[in-house]
Amino acid sequence: MKPVLSAHNLSYSVGEARLLQDVNLDVNPGEVVGLIGPNGAGKSTLLRALIGFIRPEQGTVRLHGLPLSGYSARERSRQMSYLSRQGPDQFSFRARDVVEMGSYAGLRWGRSPGTREREAALHALEQVGLLKLADREFPTLSEGERQLVLFARILVQNAPVMLLDEPTANLDIGHEHTLLRMVRTLCDTGRSAVIALHNLNSAAEYCKRLVLIESGRITASGRPDNVLTRTHLERAYQTDVRIGQNETTGSITVNSIPGPGNRRNLKVHVIGGAGSAVGITRFLHRKGCTITGGVSHELDSDAKFWAALGIDFLQVPAFSEIGEDTLTLAAGLVREADLTILCAFPFGHGNAANLDVAEQAHELLILDENAGLCRRAFFGDAAELERKFRRLAKTWDMVSYEEACDYINSLTSKVTVTVTRSGG
Amino acid sequence: MDGGIPRFVAPTVLFATLAISLAAALALGSVTVPLRTILDVLRLVMRPGDTDISTLPRELRSAYAILYHIRFPRAVAAVFAGGALALSGAAVQGLFRNPMAGPDILGISAGSSLGAVLAIVSGFAALHPLAVPGSAFLGALAAAVFVYLVAAGRGGTQLLFVILAGLAVSSILSGLVSAVLIFAEEHAVSQFIFWTMGGLEGRSWRTVLPPLPFIAVLAVAMMGFSSPLNLLTLGDEQAHSLGVRVEILKVGILVSAAMLTAMAIALAGPIAFVGLMVPHLVRLLTGPDHRTLLPYSMAAGAIFLLLSDLIGRYAFRPYEIRTGIITAIIGGPYFIFLILRYQRRGSA
Repeated sequence: MKPVLSAHNLSYSVGEARLLQDVNLDVNPGEVVGLIGPNGAGKSTLLRALIGFIRPEQGTVRLHGLPLSGYSARERSRQMSYLSRQGPDQFSFRARDVVEMGSYAGLRWGRSPGTREREAALHALEQVGLLKLADREFPTLSEGERQLVLFARILVQNAPVMLLDEPTANLDIGHEHTLLRMVRTLCDTGRSAVIALHNLNSAAEYCKRLVLIESGRITASGRPDNVLTRTHLERAYQTDVRIGQNETTGSITVNSIPGPGNRRNLKVHVIGGAGSAVGITRFLHRKGCTITGGVSHELDSDAKFWAALGIDFLQVPAFSEIGEDTLTLAAGLVREADLTILCAFPFGHGNAANLDVAEQAHELLILDENAGLCRRAFFGDAAELERKFRRLAKTWDMVSYEEACDYINSLTSKVTVTVTRSGG
Repeated sequence: MDGGIPRFVAPTVLFATLAISLAAALALGSVTVPLRTILDVLRLVMRPGDTDISTLPRELRSAYAILYHIRFPRAVAAVFAGGALALSGAAVQGLFRNPMAGPDILGISAGSSLGAVLAIVSGFAALHPLAVPGSAFLGALAAAVFVYLVAAGRGGTQLLFVILAGLAVSSILSGLVSAVLIFAEEHAVSQFIFWTMGGLEGRSWRTVLPPLPFIAVLAVAMMGFSSPLNLLTLGDEQAHSLGVRVEILKVGILVSAAMLTAMAIALAGPIAFVGLMVPHLVRLLTGPDHRTLLPYSMAAGAIFLLLSDLIGRYAFRPYEIRTGIITAIIGGPYFIFLILRYQRRGSA
C-alpha cells in the first residue's frame, strides 16, 4: 500500500536541543497511528513538521508521494488538517464560528462562508454532542468543551489526513471515547490519522499502530502489543508499569504502579487462589515486604497478579493436583517466611495440598471470608478437608482483612526499629 | 450575526452616524453654516475647473472660504486619521491575539516624536508645512522597521520579541527626544509639546491630500487580511493548517499597520487611544469577526475623531481644545472601565 503521508529522515533542532533525530514514519490510508512518549519527547514537534509548520533541517515530508513543499498552502489545507488545543481564548467567537473556520480551507479566495458552511458547522457540533452550546462564546466554555469544539472544526475541514495533537487531554472518559471512536470511524472509510496521546490504554484500544518517541527518536513502532511492552515503557517513562489485558475489551492495558515501599525485612508467604490474594498482596507490596506466593494454578487471577508484580510464586497447570515436588518447594517457602497468610478460597482436590503447606508455617494468619472475593468452601473429600481446616483454625487466629493489615503494620514497624538499632 | 440583530443594521447605523457627524463637523464652529449652504458649496467644489471666489454670490463667499479652506480639509483629515488609527488597531489586536495591543507596540509614537522634534529644532518646520508631518511619518516608519529587524529572527516573527524590541526601541527614542529638547530653544520646546498633544487645526489641502491615496490603498489591503486574521485566533499552527501563510500575514499586517499609523500621525499628530478604544467598542457591539470588525472599526474611528475634534473646537468656543486632549480625556476613563469590567469577569 502506498503511504499517504511519509516522513523520511526528519531532523530538527532548536539551538543545542535536538528535537527530532532521523525520524521515519509512513502513514497508510485507513490507518490510525498513535504517537506516544513522555512529555517533551518530540510528539508535537513531529506533528508540526508533518503539517509543514516547521521546516526540518534535514529530511522530507511527502504527502501523496509528493514533497510537502510543492503544495500551496491552500492545497495542503484541503489534504491535511491539524488540531492543537489553542482556541480564540481572547476573542468572543461563538462555538459555531470557531467550527465554521474549518470551512475556510475549502472556500475559494475572498469568499466568505455561506449557508452551506454554517449548516456544516452545526452538523459537526451535533456530532460531537455540543449542538446546544453552538451560540455560546468560546472563551466561556470549559477546557473539555473547547477541545470538542476545536475537533468539530477538524470534521468540517474534512481532510483525508488528520494530525491531532493530544485531542483528548482534557476530556472525560465518555467524551474521550466518543472522539477517538469518531476518528476511527473516519479512518475506516479511508482517511488516516496521526494522534499524539498520553493515555496509553486509549492508544492501545484505538490505534492500529503505535510509534514510541523518546528524546526525538522513534524507539519502537508497530502493533500496540509490540510497542506497549514493559521494557519499552519503563525505559521511556522512567516508572514501573504493568501490562495487562482489559477483561471486557481484550485490548492491552498499561498501568503505572507505585514502586514497592522501602524494603522491609519481613518475609511473607501468601497462600491464595481464585483472586483471593490480590488485596493482601497489594498491601504487602506497598509495605515493601518480601513476598512469595503459592501454590496456585496457571491462569488463576492470583497467579497473573503475582506474575505482574514480579513476585516469586509456585504454580501448577490449571485444574491439576499439586504434586509432591511442588509441595516440597511450597513448604520450603513457608518455612522461610516470617509470616504466612491463608486467604479465603474454596478447597477441592486440586488445591487440597495448600492446607498441608499452611501447617508448616511459623506464624499463620487466616483471613476470614469477608476479606476476599470468594467464600471458603470445601469440595471433593469435603469432610476431611474441613477437618484439616478446623485444626488450623483452632491453632491460629482467624482475622479480618483490616486486622491482618494492622498486624502486618505492627510487624513491619517493629522490624524497622530493629534494623535502625542494629544500624546505629 | 444571524439571530438577534439583522446583518444590515450595524453598517446602516455606522454609515448614517458618519454622515451626520460629517455634516455636523462642517456646519458647526465659531460660525454656523446652514446645511443648504453646505450643499451649495459642495456643488461648487464638485464643479470642474477652478472656482474664482470673487464671482460667487456674496452670501456664499465667506461660507465657501470657511468650508473649502478650513472645515473640509480638517474633516477629511479627521476621517482618514481616525479610520487609519482604528483600523490598524483592530488588525494589530487580532494579530497579537490580545485586545490590549496596539500599533504603538512597534515604537511608532516614539519614532514619530523624534522625527517631529528634529524637524522643529532644525528649523525645517518653518520652511514647509509638510516638514513636521513628513518627518514624523519617516520617524515612525524607521522605528517600526528597526523594531521589526530586531524582532524577526530565524524561523519566523516571534510576537513576544516584537513587543520587547518595541519597548526597547521606544525607550531609546524617547531618550533621544529628551536629549534633543535639552539643547533646543524654548519656542521649539513649546512647539514640540504642542505637537505631541495631537490636533487638527490649521489643516490645509496641501498637508492633507498627500497621505490619502496611501491610506485608501493600505486600508483595502488590510481588509484582505480579515479572514486569515480570524483563523489566526486559533494559533499559528492551526491557522497554517487551514491554509494561512502565517509569516506573510504577520509581516503584511505589521507593515500596513505601521504605515497607516504613521500617516495618521502625519495628518493629526499623535492621537491617543483611538487605535485601542474604538476596535474594542466595535467588538462589543458586533462581535469579534474581523471581516466586519475591520471595516466597522475604520468607520467608527472616523466618527470618533470627527466628533472629538468637533467637541474640542465647539464646546468651549471661542477657545479650542486640541483633539488629542479630548481623545485622551475620553480614552483614559474608558480604559479604566475596561480594566474594571475584565476584573469582574475574571478574564481579559
